[in-house]
Amino acid sequence: MGTEYQRIIRRRILILSALPFVLFATAIIGTFIGPSGPIGPGIKTDTGEIQRISIGDAIDAIFNGHGNWPFDYHAIFWTQRIPRVLLAVLVGAGLACAGTAMQAVFRNPMADPFIVGVSSGASVGAVAATLTGLAAYAVVGTFLTPLLAFCSALITVFVVYRLGTVKGKVYVDTLLLSGVAMAAFLGAIVSALIYFARQEFHRIIFWLLGSLSMQSWTADAILVVTVGIGVLVIFLYSRDLNALLLGEETAHNLGTDPEALKTIMLIVAAIMTSAAVAFTGVIGFIGLIIPHMMRIVVGADHRILVPASTLAGAIFLVWADAIARTVISPNTLPVGIVTAMCGGPFFLYLLRRSRVEGEK
Amino acid sequence: MKFEVRDLSYSFGDKKVLSNISFEAADGEFLGLMGPNGSGKTTLLRCMTNYLETPEGRILINGEPLQSLMPSELARTFAVVPQSSSTDFVFSAYDIVMMGRIPHMASRIAGHRKSDVEIVRAAMEKTDTLRFASRPFFALSGGERQRVVIARAIAQQPQGLLLDEPTVYLDINGQFEIMDLIRKLNREGGISVVAVLHDVNLAARYCDRIALLSQGHLEAIGEPKDVLTPEIIRGVYGIDVVIRKDPFTNAVYVMPHSTVAIAHTHGRRVHLLCGGGTGGPVMKALLDGGFGVSAGVLNVLDSDFQNAEDLHITTVAEAPFAPIGDSSHAENLKLISSSSAVIVSPFPVGPGNLKNLEAAKTAVNSDKTVFILPPEPGKGIDFVGGKADATIKELIRSGAIQVDGIEDLLRRLSRGGGG
Amino acid sequence: MGSKRTSSSVKNVWTVLGVVLTAIIAFSSGYLVATATQNEAVGFSVVDDYGRTVTLDGIPDRIVSVAPTPTEILYSIGAGSLLVGVDNYSDYPEEAKLLTKVGDAFELNTEVIIALKPDLVICGDLVPTQLIQLGETQGIPYIILADRTVEAVLKTIRLAGIITGHVDEADQLAANLSERIDALTAKTLADGVSKPKVLVETWSWGTLISTFGPGSYGDDVIALAGGANIAKYAANEYPMVESEFVIAQDPDVVVYTMSSTTKDAIIARPGWGNVTAVQLDHIYPIEDDLISRYGMRLIDGLEQLAAMIHPELFP
Repeated sequence: MGTEYQRIIRRRILILSALPFVLFATAIIGTFIGPSGPIGPGIKTDTGEIQRISIGDAIDAIFNGHGNWPFDYHAIFWTQRIPRVLLAVLVGAGLACAGTAMQAVFRNPMADPFIVGVSSGASVGAVAATLTGLAAYAVVGTFLTPLLAFCSALITVFVVYRLGTVKGKVYVDTLLLSGVAMAAFLGAIVSALIYFARQEFHRIIFWLLGSLSMQSWTADAILVVTVGIGVLVIFLYSRDLNALLLGEETAHNLGTDPEALKTIMLIVAAIMTSAAVAFTGVIGFIGLIIPHMMRIVVGADHRILVPASTLAGAIFLVWADAIARTVISPNTLPVGIVTAMCGGPFFLYLLRRSRVEGEK
Repeated sequence: MKFEVRDLSYSFGDKKVLSNISFEAADGEFLGLMGPNGSGKTTLLRCMTNYLETPEGRILINGEPLQSLMPSELARTFAVVPQSSSTDFVFSAYDIVMMGRIPHMASRIAGHRKSDVEIVRAAMEKTDTLRFASRPFFALSGGERQRVVIARAIAQQPQGLLLDEPTVYLDINGQFEIMDLIRKLNREGGISVVAVLHDVNLAARYCDRIALLSQGHLEAIGEPKDVLTPEIIRGVYGIDVVIRKDPFTNAVYVMPHSTVAIAHTHGRRVHLLCGGGTGGPVMKALLDGGFGVSAGVLNVLDSDFQNAEDLHITTVAEAPFAPIGDSSHAENLKLISSSSAVIVSPFPVGPGNLKNLEAAKTAVNSDKTVFILPPEPGKGIDFVGGKADATIKELIRSGAIQVDGIEDLLRRLSRGGGG
Repeated sequence: MGSKRTSSSVKNVWTVLGVVLTAIIAFSSGYLVATATQNEAVGFSVVDDYGRTVTLDGIPDRIVSVAPTPTEILYSIGAGSLLVGVDNYSDYPEEAKLLTKVGDAFELNTEVIIALKPDLVICGDLVPTQLIQLGETQGIPYIILADRTVEAVLKTIRLAGIITGHVDEADQLAANLSERIDALTAKTLADGVSKPKVLVETWSWGTLISTFGPGSYGDDVIALAGGANIAKYAANEYPMVESEFVIAQDPDVVVYTMSSTTKDAIIARPGWGNVTAVQLDHIYPIEDDLISRYGMRLIDGLEQLAAMIHPELFP
């Protein structure tokens, strides 16, 4: 079969097996990055001096509590850093994995996890939650926004799914167009809501731009379950996804069930993405760009691509968030801005590259 | 693999596409499905692969109802080769063939076993596709892609192959390549074949039996020689054909027979013995001059055959690469006897069409007016070692009129030369 | 072939740059022309809080205010009767609510404003673009009252007095306020008085806290109240900072606006348990307007804040 081909396969598997280690290292480093250090710009106190905890002290504080340190690094680490990095890992993984599945189902490299209406649906819920003004309050507020966002996202996906399905058969092109139409319609509603509540707009702007600041151990727990199950299911259907890329009739003739596959993938991706978006808002580009990048690096075989994208998405978001938290320290940028800024130019580069390849 | 189709009907909405189709495809058989566009042959195939899931009637495969089998079971029983395959995603040819092993995988997470790799390798060897195993599928040519898809079908280790117009996007090279490969698999591998084919002669050449569909009905099923008759073809395709035998394969060969009413403006029809493109201008001039024209015997690949077709001129045709046979010659003479004059254009004479000059001799001897057009100066037309030149000289001696050119010919014809 | 393609794409780049440059020049010149246009009339000139020189025909007797703070200031110097229209958010004092509404800083209803035939429009630090247009087409001047420090509030009050002709009331008010401020800072800024670390929180979202950064009046108020603003070195005037930042700064006092959250919510925040303010229960609410409007009530806010930060000085 050509030793060159064997070499390619071996290299791809090597890359894939390196990724979990890279993720682990990234996560560890990510928890050490922040305004108060040890990796970071430090915090200027009122006296003008810069406070940054050293690595040794940080490690000590992590395991031994508040102790003598000038500030409660133990609390910062366990209540701010870790849940945050964990959230970045889960959301990045979920979005990238869902994006990979959607690109296969729609056989369209421009598909992303929001394509069936998740982002527009969730936005309606989130903005509506803000409008009630309850978002300010403790228990209700913390979960009202994610809850409403999650529910409205799922409802939207359901409507789009029904629009794109005739007698049990999923028509992918109709689904795509329905998603676009819903996005336009709901986008108008969101704009109207924002306009009428524009004095409250600042409350929701971080969600709308995509932010990891609604982190909590509860959010992490919910996402561990949804993203974990979602990634597992999508991975198990990798072979079927490969076949689906050749066309539905071919996939059918190879012994898979394209209708069931499309439905399962849509449901799983929708739940996974909606859960992520509920807490973080619409973080763009990960679901679209990461699968493309990984396809270039490890090929289109989903048995390698799905885990590779998942891990790469997690790694990417951890770094993006680290940047978002430190670049204008002590202020925080919405992470969606960072991902867009990375994603946009990269996408142009990809486009140009594929065009050059095509002209060859 | 044995297919039984019983009373199969299928409708898209309220449009009935298949009506009460019943036939059997025996084990090891090479069955062709044919019919004009819209006859339902692709729909029939899709019902047989269970891609269209709710037809009326029954389809049994190896005795079991099609619907009762799991998709993976079906994929282990037969493999499908579509008209064309392409993908934007970067899969290597090897990847594509390996997908044929999907129905044999033990579980969702099982990897490839050594046996899978070996089966794929053997399939690619059989289809001569090993050499581009690591190349991306989309970068291959149409013929190469079809071979890879066939390799994938082989990798499914099927009992049968279902093909949907597998050669429609291939050039003539690729067509025979693919069909030979399929026949090899059928004969040597014992794999039954059901193929939708659009090319009548391809089907006649390769199929054991042909099922002919027309507007959703099964018009005929049987061996090519029994199904491809002028009457049946006229009924199904609406064209008149002439049936010949392929001189190399002995298979039935279908040739369209142009039937157009002969215009008799002068009340007269002349018969043109021509070939090699020399007849074209003559035909046109004669038609413009108000004469009816017939021509022959022309080899189907001869440009004058095409000229005659274009001008809707009745022609006696002969199979490609074949010398003029007795039946064509007889038909030629028939047309000559019913024409008012015979014209011999300066066609290149070879052993294959020397008989045309003999036909001219026969015409002269039966007192037919025969005109002979001269060749271009310096151009020889004799490729039979002098026999042609001799025959022409003989014709002139016997009374054939040598004219100066087409205008001269027309003048003489209009003056009433002929009888 | 390659170079041909390059030269055409280079041409494209220059074309785009040229279009962009032209657009920039066009817009800039439009702006410059607009600001160069001045009223020709005789009258008096004032310099507003943005340093703009505005010429008025005389004391205006029909004023429209498009921000809540200028409204408050005008009423506080007895010039409320000059107001003929206010924005949607001008709700203090009560009388202001009865005036004709003209929209808000994001969306002014210019038709209503024109119909009111004002001599002057006053706005706060959010300057609606429609005002520029009103100035050009209708000749209605506008003045920006926007301060960044407590001291500037006094200046603004005096300026308002000059504009409205209520100079005496304005000066009187300014003097009163000044007294109160001095009395306060005599205690809070005295030698040997500690400066507890203070967080003033205006709203929060997830783990993000919105507070007052350098250059904002909130920052100034905290300083005058004898506190050390933990966000003094943030990146801008109204930063969003992470809880991590707050925990690291470990404030001694946390003040929150009443509409934004509750004390229990703050205490319940993950990681805030060991923050000094939480441990010592130094968490206090403050009325929104007292810290967000820089009229005379800001001094009330200042006094409340000082009492929260230095309970020992103001028993």
